[in-house]
Amino acid sequence: MRLLALALRRCLWMPPTLLGLTLIVFSVSHIIPADPARVLAGENAPYEQVEALRRKFGLDKPLPEQFVHYVSDVVHGNMGISLYTQRPVADDLVERLPATVELALFAIVLAVLLGLPLGVVSALRRNSLLDHVVRVITIAGLAMAAFWLAMLLQLLFSMHLNLTPVQGRINGWGPDPITGFYTLDALIRGDGETFFTALRYLTLPMLTLAIPAMATIVRFTRAGVLNVMRSQFVFYQAAMGLPRRVVIWKYILRAALIGTLTQIGLVFGNLLAGAVVVETVFSWPGLGTYAYNSILQSDYNAIMGFTLFTGSVFIGMNLLVDIAQAVLDPRGR
Amino acid sequence: MSQTDGPTIGRRGVLAGGAALSMYASTAEAARIRYVTANNNPYDILDPHQVFDIGRIAIRLNMYDALVRWVDNPAKLDLWLADKVEISADGMTYVFTLRPNVKFHDGSALTAADVVYSMERILGLKKGAYGLFSDVVKPGSTKALDALHVQFTLTKPFAVFMAVLSELWVVNSKVVQSHVKDGDWGAEWLTRNEAGSGGYRLRRFDPAIGFQCERFEAHFMPWGPGAIDEADFRVSMETATRVLGMIKGEFNTTDGYMPAEQVERMKASGNVWFKEAESIRTFYFIINHSKAPLNDINMRRALCCMFDYDGFNNNILGGTVVRNPGIIPNPMWGAPKDLKGYSYDIDKAKWYLSKVTEKLRPIQIGAMAGYPQSEQAAQMLQAGAAKAGLEIKVVAEPYTTIAPKLDDPDRAHDLIPLWRSAYFADPHNWTGYLFNSRNFKGGNASFYKNPRIDELTDQALVITDQEKRRVLYEEASRILVDEAVGLFVNNTKFYGPYSKSVKSVRFCPIGDTQDIRWIQMNS
Amino acid sequence: MLRRLSRDRALLTGLVIVTLLVLAAIFAAPLSNFPGHVTGFDPSQRLRPPGETYWLGTDRMGADIYSRLLFGARLTILISVSATAVAVLIGVPMGLVAGYYDRWFSDLMMRVSDVFLAVPQIVLAIAIAQTLGPAIQNVILALSATYWPFWTRVVYAETRSLRNEVFIEAAIAMGASPLRVMVLHVLPSIASSIIVRTTIGMGATILAAASLGFLGLGAPPPTPEWGRMIAESREFLPQAWWYATAPGLAILLVVMGFNLLGDGLRDTLDPRIRRGS
Repeated sequence: MRLLALALRRCLWMPPTLLGLTLIVFSVSHIIPADPARVLAGENAPYEQVEALRRKFGLDKPLPEQFVHYVSDVVHGNMGISLYTQRPVADDLVERLPATVELALFAIVLAVLLGLPLGVVSALRRNSLLDHVVRVITIAGLAMAAFWLAMLLQLLFSMHLNLTPVQGRINGWGPDPITGFYTLDALIRGDGETFFTALRYLTLPMLTLAIPAMATIVRFTRAGVLNVMRSQFVFYQAAMGLPRRVVIWKYILRAALIGTLTQIGLVFGNLLAGAVVVETVFSWPGLGTYAYNSILQSDYNAIMGFTLFTGSVFIGMNLLVDIAQAVLDPRGR
Repeated sequence: MSQTDGPTIGRRGVLAGGAALSMYASTAEAARIRYVTANNNPYDILDPHQVFDIGRIAIRLNMYDALVRWVDNPAKLDLWLADKVEISADGMTYVFTLRPNVKFHDGSALTAADVVYSMERILGLKKGAYGLFSDVVKPGSTKALDALHVQFTLTKPFAVFMAVLSELWVVNSKVVQSHVKDGDWGAEWLTRNEAGSGGYRLRRFDPAIGFQCERFEAHFMPWGPGAIDEADFRVSMETATRVLGMIKGEFNTTDGYMPAEQVERMKASGNVWFKEAESIRTFYFIINHSKAPLNDINMRRALCCMFDYDGFNNNILGGTVVRNPGIIPNPMWGAPKDLKGYSYDIDKAKWYLSKVTEKLRPIQIGAMAGYPQSEQAAQMLQAGAAKAGLEIKVVAEPYTTIAPKLDDPDRAHDLIPLWRSAYFADPHNWTGYLFNSRNFKGGNASFYKNPRIDELTDQALVITDQEKRRVLYEEASRILVDEAVGLFVNNTKFYGPYSKSVKSVRFCPIGDTQDIRWIQMNS
Repeated sequence: MLRRLSRDRALLTGLVIVTLLVLAAIFAAPLSNFPGHVTGFDPSQRLRPPGETYWLGTDRMGADIYSRLLFGARLTILISVSATAVAVLIGVPMGLVAGYYDRWFSDLMMRVSDVFLAVPQIVLAIAIAQTLGPAIQNVILALSATYWPFWTRVVYAETRSLRNEVFIEAAIAMGASPLRVMVLHVLPSIASSIIVRTTIGMGATILAAASLGFLGLGAPPPTPEWGRMIAESREFLPQAWWYATAPGLAILLVVMGFNLLGDGLRDTLDPRIRRGS
C-alpha cells in the first residue's frame, strides 16, 4: 500500500515536471539568436523567402502563443516538424532510437559484467595490490573526458592497430530493420558476417561509454560490500562459525548487490546523456548526434523533442530506481 | 559539421572517384562497376528544389537533369535537356527546344510541361535556388508551347539567365503531383524520394547513411566503357575516417579540400592518386562597411596589410591554395590578370592606421566554428593586427548563428572569414551578387554601397556580349581592391583523391567531380 | 588533521595535484617557453613533434603546446571556480530555505530543482551555451545554470535532518530569527557536506567545460582552452598524436585531483558519509 502511494505520488508529479521541463527548454531554445528560417532558406535566399518560412513554421507568432501551441500539440502526440529534416520530430526520434539503445545496452552490459566482479573482489581483498589497481582505474575512469578517451581509442585501435573502424555504425547499409538493432537483426537472419561487422563498429563507442559506467559500478559495489562486511550482522554470522565462503556468498554479496543493482538504472540514464558527446565523436547515427546537430542548426522542435524524450526516460528511470529501492530495502530512506 | 544551405560559406565541396571492388566482381553476373564516395556533409534532403548548395550537389547532378549543364574547367555551359535555344533580341524571351525521347526513371516521357511545372515549383516553394529566379521570372509566365517547346518570358533582361538555368532541375510533374499534401508541392515526399531523369536513379536512402543509386540505362546521353553501374554516396564526417577509408580502398573518393598533411599521407600510401585543379572558390573576409571605423578606406587598407598571406597560404595551408588578389577567382574571366592585391607589411599597416580619421576601436572577427581554415585565418589577422598595434577579438560561432546576422548591419560581425563558391560560372556570382547595394539583406553582407559598382554590375546583367561584360567586371574588380572592400585571400586548389581503380575523372568547378557519369573505371 | 592527511594517500595526491594546478596558473608566464604563444605563433613551425624547443610539440598554427597548456590552466580554474561559485550561491540558499521551512514553497523549490535534474546536465549546458554564444562567461553561466540543483539537494536533505535537533530548537526558542538560525546554526553544521560537494563539483564542471570547448561551444580561438585544443587536433590525427595527448592528460590529472581531494575530505570531515555516492 505504501509502495503504491509512493508510486502514485511520483507519477502525479510527472506531468508538472515535464511541463516545467518543456518550459525551460522552450525558453532556452527560443532565445537563440540564430534564425532557423534564415538557415533553412539558405544563404542565397532573398528576405521575403525567409519571411515566408517564418510564417509557415509559426515563428512570427508571440512566444507564449507558440508555447501553448507546442504543449497542446505534444499532448496530442505531435512533436512538430523538424525545421531541418522537414519530417515529424517523433519519426526522426523513433528512427534514431535503436542505434542509441543498442549502443547503450552493449555498454551497460559490459560495464556490469566487468564492474560487479571487480568491485566485489576489490572489497574482499581490501588494500591488496589488485584493490589498488582497481581503485586507480576507477578514479581515472571517472576523471577522463569521454571525447578524449574516444580519440585515444580511435588513435590506438583504428589508426595504429587497424583493428576497428574509426567511426560509423556499419560499412554502408545496415540490414533491413526488424528490430533496428543491427546485431540482433543480423542474428535473426543468421547473417554472421553482418553481425561481426556491426560488432566491430560497436566496439569503440561501447568501450568509451562503458569505462566511466564501469568505474561508477565498481565504486558502488566496493562501498556496498565494505559496508555490509563492517556490519554487526556479518560479524555475528562469522562469530557463529559459519564458513567464510558461505558468509560471503549468502550474506555479504546479496546485501551489497541489491544496492548496486538499483543504481544501474541511474547509470543507464547517464549513458544516454554521455551519448551526445560520444556519438558525435564516432558519428554514431543515434539520438546523440541528432541532438547535437539540432542544436547547431537551431532546430527548435528537434531540440525540444529530444530533451523531452530524454527527460521522460530520466524521470522514468528515477521512478523505477526509487520503487526498486523501496521494494528491496524495506528500511526506506 | 552538418549545416544547412551554407555551401559558400565554408562548405567544402565533395567529390567523386571510383573503383570496382573485387569482392563484388566474383558474383556470377557480369562484374558491376561500383563506386563509393565518402562525403563530409549529410545528404538529408533529396529534393532538388529545396536545396541549393555544393555539399549536396551530387543528388542533383546525378539523379536530375536541367536544360543546361556545366562541364570542364574553366566551366562551360552545355545544352543538356535542350537541343536548341532561341533568345529574342531584347533578351527577354527564351524558347528552348527539348531533346526528343528523354525518359524519366519511371519510363514516362519528359516534356515541356515538366519544365514548366519545375519552374513553378521553385517559385512556389520559395526555397533553394528560388532567389536566382525570383527577380526575373514571375509565376505563371513560363509556357509549354507544345510537348517539346518551352518559353520563358523575363521581366527584364538578365545576362546570367542561361547560367542559372543549370539549377532548374526538371522533376516528373505527374509523379510529384500525385504526392502533393496540403499544397506542399510534394515537398514532404520528394525530401526522401526521387522523381528525375538523370543518369542514376535512387535505390536506397537513409539520411544518417547517405544514398545509393544505380545507372539509368535509358538516359539520353550514351554511356561509355567503364561507366559506373552503382554508386554509394556515404556520409562520413571525420577527416581521419575518410583518409583511412581511402588508404584501405573502402572508398573510391572523398573531398578534395583536405589539409596538406592528409594529402601527403594518402599519397604516401601508394593506393591513392590525385586530380589537381585550380577551382573557383575564393576565400576572403567580409568587411562590414556600416560600422565605423570600417567605413574608412585607410582602416580597411590597414587591415589588408596586416594579413600574412604567405604564412597563411603556404605554411598553414601548405600551398594547397593560390593567392587571389581580388574577389573573382583568378581562372574566371572578368578577373583582371594584372590585378595587384595587398601584401603583408606591418609598417605600411601602421602608416594607414595613422591616417584613419574615424575613432579606432577593437575589431571583432566572427569566425565559423567547425571550419578550421576560417578560425585559422582569424587568428592570422589577429596576430598581424597585434603587431601593428590594433586589437582584434575573435568569436567563433556556427554558421547557423552567423548567417542570420548577415542581413542586419548592426548585428553583423565586423569581419567574417569565409568562402564564396561557384554556384554558376559567371563573374556576377562574386561581384554583383556580393557587392551591389540592391542586395543588402541577401548577398551583400558587406553593406557596401558604391554607385559606380552598382552601375557596372547592373549594366553587366543587361548586356549579353561577354567581351563587353568582361570590361565591366574587370573595372569593378579593380575598384573593389583599390577601396579594400574586402580582405581577399586565396583561391582554392582542388586535390581530389581517387583509388587506383578510377581511370579518369572530369573536373568542373561546379560540383568538382561529383557528376559521376563522366568517371571512367578500370574494369 | 595533518596526521590524518599524511596517512590518506588519496587526499594527499589530490591536494598535490590541485596545488600544482594553481601554481601552474599563477606562474604560467615565467614557466612557459613561449609566453607570446597564447595569441601569437610561428606558422613555419606548425605541427612539430615534441622536442628540445617545443617540449610538447606545436599546434596547427605553430604555437607551443606546453606554453598554451600552462595558460589554459588559468582558464580552467577561472571557469570551474566561477561556475561552481555561482551554482553554490544559487543552490545553497534554495536548499536552506526549502529545508528549513515546511511550506508549499519548499515543495515547489524542490520540484523546480527536480525539473533541472530531469535533463542530462550536459544536454542542457550545450543548449544554453549554444543559445548564449561561444564565450567563457557563457560557459560559466551555462554550467552554473545546470549544476546548482545538486547543492540544493544536499543542503535540503541535511537541513531537514537538522531541523529537529535540540540545538536548533533551542536557538528558535531563544527567539533567534529564521535567517539567524539558518546562517549561524544550520550552515556551519552542514558546511562540511557543502565543501565536499563543491570539491567534487569542481571536477565535474571542468569536465563539462572541456566538453563544451570540444564541441566548439566554449571560448573562441586562440584561447588556450584544453577541450578546444583537443578538438582542433582531430583533423591532424594520427600523425600529430601529441596535439591531443597533452591537453587530455592535463584534464584527466586535474579532474582526478579534485575527485581525490573531494573523497579524502569526505572521509576526513564527515566520517558518517560513506564513499560511493
